[in-house]
Amino acid sequence: MPLIELNNITKQFERKIALSSLSFHVKKGEMVALIGPSGAGKSTLLNTLAGITAPNTGTYLLDGVPIQHYKKRKELAKKIGVIRQQFDLIASLPVIQNVLAGRLGEWGFFKSMLSLFLPQDKQLAANALNRVGLLDKLYDQTSKLSGGEQQRVALARLLVQSPAVILADEPVASLDPARAEDVLAMLTKLVKEEGQTLVMSLHSVEYAKKYFSRIIALRDGEVFFDLPTSEITKEHLAELYLLKEMAL
Amino acid sequence: MKQLLSPLYLHKRLSLTLVLLAAFIWSLFSVTWSRDLLHAGGWATTVQILEGLIKPDLSPDILELAVESSWVTVVYAVTGMTVALIIAFVLGVLGSGVLVSSRPVRIVTAGFSRAVLAIIRAIHELVWALLFVAVIGLSPYAAIFALGIPYGGILGRIFADMLNDVPGEPIQALRAAGASRLHCLMYGYLPLIRSNMISYTMYRFECSIRSSAIMSFVGLGGLGYQIQLSLADLHYDEVWTFLFFLIAIVVLIDAWSNSLRKRLVL
Repeated sequence: MPLIELNNITKQFERKIALSSLSFHVKKGEMVALIGPSGAGKSTLLNTLAGITAPNTGTYLLDGVPIQHYKKRKELAKKIGVIRQQFDLIASLPVIQNVLAGRLGEWGFFKSMLSLFLPQDKQLAANALNRVGLLDKLYDQTSKLSGGEQQRVALARLLVQSPAVILADEPVASLDPARAEDVLAMLTKLVKEEGQTLVMSLHSVEYAKKYFSRIIALRDGEVFFDLPTSEITKEHLAELYLLKEMAL
Repeated sequence: MKQLLSPLYLHKRLSLTLVLLAAFIWSLFSVTWSRDLLHAGGWATTVQILEGLIKPDLSPDILELAVESSWVTVVYAVTGMTVALIIAFVLGVLGSGVLVSSRPVRIVTAGFSRAVLAIIRAIHELVWALLFVAVIGLSPYAAIFALGIPYGGILGRIFADMLNDVPGEPIQALRAAGASRLHCLMYGYLPLIRSNMISYTMYRFECSIRSSAIMSFVGLGGLGYQIQLSLADLHYDEVWTFLFFLIAIVVLIDAWSNSLRKRLVL
């Protein structure tokens, strides 16, 4: 049974069609890159997968259950974790609190309040930070970290949250090439180690080919191609990024 | 067309200026220019006030009184701000609606809280003071509530606005990690607005010192009361002593808030 099952998903904003009759399956452990020109619907698709955006029509089964049946946040948090470009940490909190935020779904009210003053499950946070190479920054204020380090803190939070599927929306778009490679290599390595499933939108086709086994290309809200990385040719890509005016 | 008319507009404005100027000059004729018009002793009083500025009364009695009234003023301001913070925090969080997920419930609770905040800050602290003095007499509680209630209204409204202005992305990330709304408040909203909240509260605390001093004009003790008594006795040197104490308190709080802000800056 596929972990993610999308059937004829359509999403419309005002009069603009963001996704039109989109269907694909993702199996457990798959590493999928989403590519396509700006405005192709990559972010809308990821938001739909995360359960943030509700599609107008179509069905979305997550682990065999329709997404709208996940009523409780913490149930959904066990299935799906999200990492974005950069704005998703609380800069004024210490690193450890940002990492432990991944546990909030598990914790009761008193434990989470207490943790603000006396961090709980410290070993868990320390382990996660150790794996992303930031153990020495445990108590630093998050705003003092560089962009690449902040993105690694977000990775540590995902490790603590430990969801079945990780959705990444352009997670390296605001980093320089060296840091971007670093974060990508780390994220894909961790996903493999944890046996998780990864769906990531990317601007760089190069990175998509290097780190992913399957590439889904979107164009105008539709699946343009959905192929194993090895079968993708230059012609595919040229056509995908062709400007519309020239295509006509 | 417009270009054709523009000299006309210019002309109009010039004539309006002339008419107003004429009206002003004409109004001067209706003033009775007698010696009674100005305070005859005004110059002498000015000299006395300036003398007081240069030679404030630094006798032990007055200094003791000034320290004592400064203490009263600061205590009123601190307790008043404590009341204000409680009101502001509760009504501010409710007024921002960040704890409620259902839209209709949010509109009702946020609207109600914001309305309460608006009503209590619409009434000036001096009016509150007069009301409380009428109800519970010249007791410190009158001063504390008179300060705390309108300041709670002001702070609460600002807190609510700050909470509403928090960027959505970090909060959404917390939600995605399984955080409840209360979690988001403690781990997201409050840490994000913390430094703004503290610096605005410190500024309001400074204002509350001034308000506390003024409020004692209604007889509630403190620096304002002493200033009023000394003014009535025409002891300007004493007035200046008390004013210097007031200035010193405000400067000290300003220095404190600066050092706090420096430590909290992101």
